[in-house]
Amino acid sequence: MKFSYNWLRELVDGLSAPAGELARRITLKTAECEGVEETGGDWIIEVDNKSLTHRPDLWGHYGMAREVAAIFGKKLVDPVKRRDIPGAPAIGVRIEDYSLCPRYSALALDHVTVRPSPGWMAERLKSVGLNAINNIVDVTNYVMAELAQPMHAFDAAKLQGGIVVRRAGSGEEIAALNGESYKLDASNLVIADGSGAVAIAGVIGGAGSSICESTTRIVLESANFNASSVRKTSSRLKLRTDASMRFEKAQDPMNTIRGLERALELLEQVCPGIRLAGGVADAYRPAPPPAPIALPVEWLSRKLGRAMGPSEVRAILESLEFQVTETGAGVFSVVAPSWRATKDVCTKDDLVEEIGRMVGYDSIVPAAPLAPVRAPHANPQREFQHRVREMAAAQGFTEVKNYSFVSEEMARAFSLDPSAHVEVANPIAADQNLLRRSLLPGIWKNIRDNARYFDSFRLFEIGRAIALEGETPHFAAAIFSKGDGAAGLYELKRLAECLLPGASARPAESSESYEHPHRVANIVHGETALGRLFEFHPRMVELGRAAVLDMDLALMEKMQRPRPRYEPLRRFPASAFDLSVVAPGRALIADVEAELSRHAGRDLLSIAFLGDFALEDGRRSLSFRLTAGAWDRTLTSEEVNAMRSSIIEGLRQSGFELRL
Amino acid sequence: MDLDQTISELYSAFVSQLEQAWSLESVEAVRVEALGRKGKLSEISKDFGKLPGEERKKAGARLNQVKQDLQRRLESRKAELSSAALEARLESEWLDLTAPAPGPRPGSLHPVTQVQREIEELFISLGFTVLDGPEVETEFYNFDALNIPSDHPARDMQDTFWLKDGRLLRTHTSPVQVRGLERLGPPLRMIAPGRVFRNEEVDASHEHTFYQLEGMMVDRDVSVAHLIYFMKTLLSAVFRREVTVRLRPGYFPFVEPGFELDIQCLICAGKGCPVCKQTGWVELLPCGLVNPAVLRYSGVDPEQWNGFAFGLGLTRLAMMRYGVDDIRLFLSGDLRFLRQF
Repeated sequence: MKFSYNWLRELVDGLSAPAGELARRITLKTAECEGVEETGGDWIIEVDNKSLTHRPDLWGHYGMAREVAAIFGKKLVDPVKRRDIPGAPAIGVRIEDYSLCPRYSALALDHVTVRPSPGWMAERLKSVGLNAINNIVDVTNYVMAELAQPMHAFDAAKLQGGIVVRRAGSGEEIAALNGESYKLDASNLVIADGSGAVAIAGVIGGAGSSICESTTRIVLESANFNASSVRKTSSRLKLRTDASMRFEKAQDPMNTIRGLERALELLEQVCPGIRLAGGVADAYRPAPPPAPIALPVEWLSRKLGRAMGPSEVRAILESLEFQVTETGAGVFSVVAPSWRATKDVCTKDDLVEEIGRMVGYDSIVPAAPLAPVRAPHANPQREFQHRVREMAAAQGFTEVKNYSFVSEEMARAFSLDPSAHVEVANPIAADQNLLRRSLLPGIWKNIRDNARYFDSFRLFEIGRAIALEGETPHFAAAIFSKGDGAAGLYELKRLAECLLPGASARPAESSESYEHPHRVANIVHGETALGRLFEFHPRMVELGRAAVLDMDLALMEKMQRPRPRYEPLRRFPASAFDLSVVAPGRALIADVEAELSRHAGRDLLSIAFLGDFALEDGRRSLSFRLTAGAWDRTLTSEEVNAMRSSIIEGLRQSGFELRL
Repeated sequence: MDLDQTISELYSAFVSQLEQAWSLESVEAVRVEALGRKGKLSEISKDFGKLPGEERKKAGARLNQVKQDLQRRLESRKAELSSAALEARLESEWLDLTAPAPGPRPGSLHPVTQVQREIEELFISLGFTVLDGPEVETEFYNFDALNIPSDHPARDMQDTFWLKDGRLLRTHTSPVQVRGLERLGPPLRMIAPGRVFRNEEVDASHEHTFYQLEGMMVDRDVSVAHLIYFMKTLLSAVFRREVTVRLRPGYFPFVEPGFELDIQCLICAGKGCPVCKQTGWVELLPCGLVNPAVLRYSGVDPEQWNGFAFGLGLTRLAMMRYGVDDIRLFLSGDLRFLRQF
């Protein structure tokens, strides 16, 4: 919203602060000024619209002038001089639903000459970003920019009978002033005459009844419409206008007559000869007056953390035109002015802001609260994730963060059904319409992007996989390298084992199309599947090999080792012996190890894998060191030999050969 | 030949053999030949029996002296040789320690993670609980419970990604205020860092996906003075120096009163520079006292409890801290960028 410094000065008696200083003070006390620009003898202060969202009154200069007058302790000048327009209404006005339109005031005028506005008016409108059109329309815009009251002018000759404010009929169409045609329904409020809709209430006027050069009689509308109704209509029609922007902030119904009075005064200046055709037509059902707010000064002081005196509080509120009555010792009964009472101010907490900003937040001394110290609640999931992060980074992995959006094509590339994804209704781009169910598409993109710059790299992401049924934190890591890729897979396997001791890789029974069919395993902990370890299919990654680990962090966190319980240290020595097992070329070390341990009996303490030697016939010789010991004594060499023999016998029966 | 002379000759022969022994093995061979059980000097003592008592005694003493002397020489020769061998081994084991060491170097944590972790640690030390909330939110938690009803113009302040099932991607971390209060109840000090989404055009200073940190303290008597105190503590820790802050009115429906908190520009110390657009102040975080309506939605009686809340843009803070001028780099996955942190 643009404010003209000169305009504000007309409305604040004796304002001498320069525009820059004014903007600074407005920022500190009222709303954020984004800049001051000098234009032809005036300064335009640009105020951030967001900071006016709750202030219907600040959508016009007069409202801002009231703030400025309060800030600088000056007198506010009311631009509405003419009061009490006489006469019986020359136009009929009827409201069908007062909840949607609390007030509709109208004034008919004749002897109108439509022509360009004088320079001062056109200039002023232009300075605050409004186009000058003709003297009649310009007056309505001028009043809006000054009093925040949107107005509309109809060509009276084009209206059939009186005005009715009603819901649109289903499918009712209107050609609007902007040249567009809109199809309406019962959720939209319209201004209608005997022939149909002539304006979309609070949003835009109709083309059919608009002011043109030949207009000689006009009807001025100065109405108040329900904020949410205007907002809904404006969003549904995707049509935001200066009027709708103001009405959706909940304008003051008391302002409609003032708007007509000010317009009449201006019309007499810019449209000589104009005459009232009658008095004000005013359909109005007043809302109950705003309830007084009880404000205990002691409570206010506690909220601000600053002692406030009752007289100080009263002075501030009265400078903003609140009505203040002392109802008890240190307790005020406060009534908000009509222009603040529509939505803005209704609780004592709202008054804390009025007092706080005017007295100045810089007058509050920071203070530590006198509250008991309590240990924060634990968040084990997050703590675990941070440990995982630290460990991955220490092992050479760099953390990435990827977008949560994927395309349908990408979902399919990762064997995921697009319809099993949460879908965005208004995506940033047509191919970013699904929420990621897996971190893999992002990791894949990272690999391809970075392979252009690096021969080898490690990266990881911790992020949410979003399924229809909920969100799961995942850990995904990748190693890209130029070699045969085996080292990367084992590194990632090691990482998985470091992150969750007890996790192991179990060859997957089948593979997905993006996986290397012979380099893929499930990461399990006991019987629980936690994730997947694989190499990307060579079709997916050019220039090198990419090994990937994808784990469910929520499950990992649950599987963590419980707090250890101390065990006394072993007192008797253990003994060790080595065995080499000849196994088929694709035997699994884990299977052989399980077989060894199955036949070893209860005195086996540990098995360590020593080496894997390829034999000429294609088989492999796998060597292990077995350590045996008993808790309560030293095993005799006969006992150790017996264990060894039992293992050898057992393995032979299972079809393995032993190299002795 | 007399025995004494024989001993002397044997002694001289062994001494010279020892001098020519260049390996531990040949030293050992000398030892076996001289002093071994079947060695030459042992053989000689077999003949002693034939000698008369006085001479036998003398020859025995002479032989012992020679044996001891040879033993000493053997040991010293051995020591000499093994020290030479060790010397030679060490010599052969020269390494070029300027060669690159194998194995990976540490990777790095994402700059946003680093900033976030630091702030988490700080708040945990101040007694705040770290909470998480879902990225896919309901309209209720993201808007209604935060005092932003469906037809409220404040909804325009945040362009929302709506989901086809009627839910949405959270536009801020503020829903965790309500979820946190519902779950843990007052008194509560909490922060909630996380990913948020806005349906905005992306450019160097706008992203549709970024990170925020929500904070809230609800207790019996929380004031604006307490809010400023915590914000100053937070920002002094973040920027590692005393900061000057100011509050000015800011409108957010979930707080009342609501503020924008500015810090005095750290580049120009408030004198005015391009970073602060010549104002001397940089807008940093929105905050305020928790709106009683939000407390009611969270099942908390606003007559008994009140609090403050604030929101910190983590991505923005990371940009400020590291001097990053393009927000798009954060989610680019570009290691040329990420490895710098």
